[in-house]
Amino acid sequence: MTFAERMLKIDRRIIFLVIGLCTLIPLLYPVGLAIKISPEVHGVYDYIESLPEGSVFLLSLDFDPASKPELYPQAVSLLRHAFKKNLRVIGMTLWLPGTGMANEVITRVADEAGKVSGKDYVFLGWSPGGGSVIINMGQDLYKAFPTDYNNQPTKDLMVLKDVKTLRDVAYVVSLAAGTSGIETWYVFGKDKYKFELGGGCTGVIAPGLYPLLRSGQINGLIGGLRGAAEYEVLIDQKGRAVAGMDAQSATHLAIIVLVILCNIFYFMLRKSQGRTGQQPG
Amino acid sequence: MPFEILLGAWVATGLTLFIFTFLYQDNPLFKLAEHLYVGVSVGYAIVKTYDTVLIRLIYEPMVKQGDWSLLIPLGIGTLMLARYVPKAAWLSRIAFAFIVGVGSGLAIPRVISSYILKQVEDTVRPLASIVQGSPSFTYDLLNPASNLNAVVLLVGVVSVLFYFFFSIEHKGPVKVAAHTGILFLMVAFGAAFGYTVMARMSLLIGRLTDLIEYAEPRYGLASLWLLAVTVTLLAAWSLTQRGKAAPPADG
Amino acid sequence: MNFFRRQLPLLITLVTGLVFAAQYYVPHPASEEMLTNVTKWLQIIGGFALVLGVTSLFHIHAVKIRRREPGWGYSFVLYAGMLGTIVIGLWHNGKEVVNGTMTAFGWIYNFMMVPLQGTMFAILAFFIASAAYRSFRARSREAAVLLVAAVIVMMGRVPLGEYLVPLSGDLTQWILNVLNASVRRAILIGISLGAVALSLKIIFGIERAYLGGGKE
Repeated sequence: MTFAERMLKIDRRIIFLVIGLCTLIPLLYPVGLAIKISPEVHGVYDYIESLPEGSVFLLSLDFDPASKPELYPQAVSLLRHAFKKNLRVIGMTLWLPGTGMANEVITRVADEAGKVSGKDYVFLGWSPGGGSVIINMGQDLYKAFPTDYNNQPTKDLMVLKDVKTLRDVAYVVSLAAGTSGIETWYVFGKDKYKFELGGGCTGVIAPGLYPLLRSGQINGLIGGLRGAAEYEVLIDQKGRAVAGMDAQSATHLAIIVLVILCNIFYFMLRKSQGRTGQQPG
Repeated sequence: MPFEILLGAWVATGLTLFIFTFLYQDNPLFKLAEHLYVGVSVGYAIVKTYDTVLIRLIYEPMVKQGDWSLLIPLGIGTLMLARYVPKAAWLSRIAFAFIVGVGSGLAIPRVISSYILKQVEDTVRPLASIVQGSPSFTYDLLNPASNLNAVVLLVGVVSVLFYFFFSIEHKGPVKVAAHTGILFLMVAFGAAFGYTVMARMSLLIGRLTDLIEYAEPRYGLASLWLLAVTVTLLAAWSLTQRGKAAPPADG
Repeated sequence: MNFFRRQLPLLITLVTGLVFAAQYYVPHPASEEMLTNVTKWLQIIGGFALVLGVTSLFHIHAVKIRRREPGWGYSFVLYAGMLGTIVIGLWHNGKEVVNGTMTAFGWIYNFMMVPLQGTMFAILAFFIASAAYRSFRARSREAAVLLVAAVIVMMGRVPLGEYLVPLSGDLTQWILNVLNASVRRAILIGISLGAVALSLKIIFGIERAYLGGGKE
């Protein structure tokens, strides 16, 4: 077995160790490289910034614990921004496993900002049905969610005064890890009820949302942990996302080096097997 | 620190490390955590469904507000469950017919409007602009709305559609269009791979951040103690497996 | 009887499909009222669909335990986790927090379900790295294009990459906003056309696979 062959068949646990260390070391010893803000993240920030006090902002936390590291920091930053701007905040989720997490983040950030449930914000909870929940909210919000997460009738809540349908909502942001998510909010919501829509999403689904961004169907997109870090920089409250950026840098660099090494060994092998007339695997 | 939080930190750390043992190889610690995960998740889903659907969406509106029209979806939902009674299983077809029919009806106009018309509209933009009465062409690559990018976008959309839809033999100009489509596709797949790497690494960063937090003295150094315990258990199990199991498959 | 088993479901699909497709174009109060009511029904029916989803899981593991199949102990752990969560959850009326205090149900959620699910997906980071090392090879010109694009995007989306190669950030923006957007748009248009065609086939009874299950 040649050197290149041996290297290409290296025990995968060595690669696991490299990745583990590349993540762990920067988390323990951060460097704090500068983070540039992309126009798509600015889109969401600028729109919230432009909303007058008391406008209705709906944050749909459409993700489960599997995507918590990417989307939870986005939720924290968006909520901090919305509460700072004194917007009326409606929280909800279309993803059943995310219910507890969504309630926790909204309550925690609201407490931090001194906001009161029912008066300044409400968490509606989860409802099954995806697109049909959105249509139903567009038709009659009180009917879609007769009570909030704390079993308070939504009709009686001060924060929902004059918010009868989605047409009364100024801005909706869906933080999505898949379907139901941003596209669902557009197709079954914005298309008919004409509110402004922004998005936050995991890195996996982010590239697929660029056509909607280009056509103006969403006015901004916060992609993955990097997007969350950009938002933290914008609101000047650095948190978990910014703290994770050094580790993100190190792991990306590690993968790039691995890919380059893999190709060097591959071409070495091809060259040596070319001489002997064999095909490399 | 409240006891339940401290206990929670130890349990969360232990379960996290048990799942990570899979990186060494499949083992009972991983299987235990994996099955517990499925059990707890299903239990959570059942409780939430009961509380949200039966209590908040059906019982309260019907009993407290007298909205008896909700008997209709209750009936349709029950018909779905007829699937488990062999003699009455055909009744579930009525429920599925209703759901699929309404779902298709709702989707058709909305999908056409949102995904087809809006996307086509943004693709067939003017390829040159009129500035102060005279035509101009902007070359700024960093501005997605520049004329040059409009041309690239149009070429990309058309060539990819061409590659997917035209099953005629790829010769001459057709070959050029299809090959252009392939190149565009490769760039998009590369971007998707880059973003997937980014996402997966973020998830790992999230879990390791929690483990670092739980390694603090206020949590009783939970991560460090439990790491030692997990490694010991794994080593002990590994010793009992010597000669029994095949080495892990590479890949 | 044959009518109820075969024709009636097709008729229901045809009528509901056509009515709700047409509803989009008829903003009459009566039509809107119908949409409000039926989407409310769909929320409730969606809950029943979830019940269907978990039933097969119950069955598979119940059989494993009953037959004492290899690994039945793990199925027992699954059942214990599930039943424990259900009992505690119902005891707390499905609430993770009551009056600002975490319930036992919330404790299970926060300290068991959240870390377990999070870690399950976090280990994929290691496997994607391993897969990249083993299979990401420039075997052809197309594969090389893919590889170069991936490397640029990986560089351009992290501060270190932008610091080492300042151009990578702008290049990534261009790839995402223009090249990637064009491909995704073509795929979106193609999939949507397919979805509309399938929906029409369902409404007109040409596609009937969804009616599968249940004896004639």
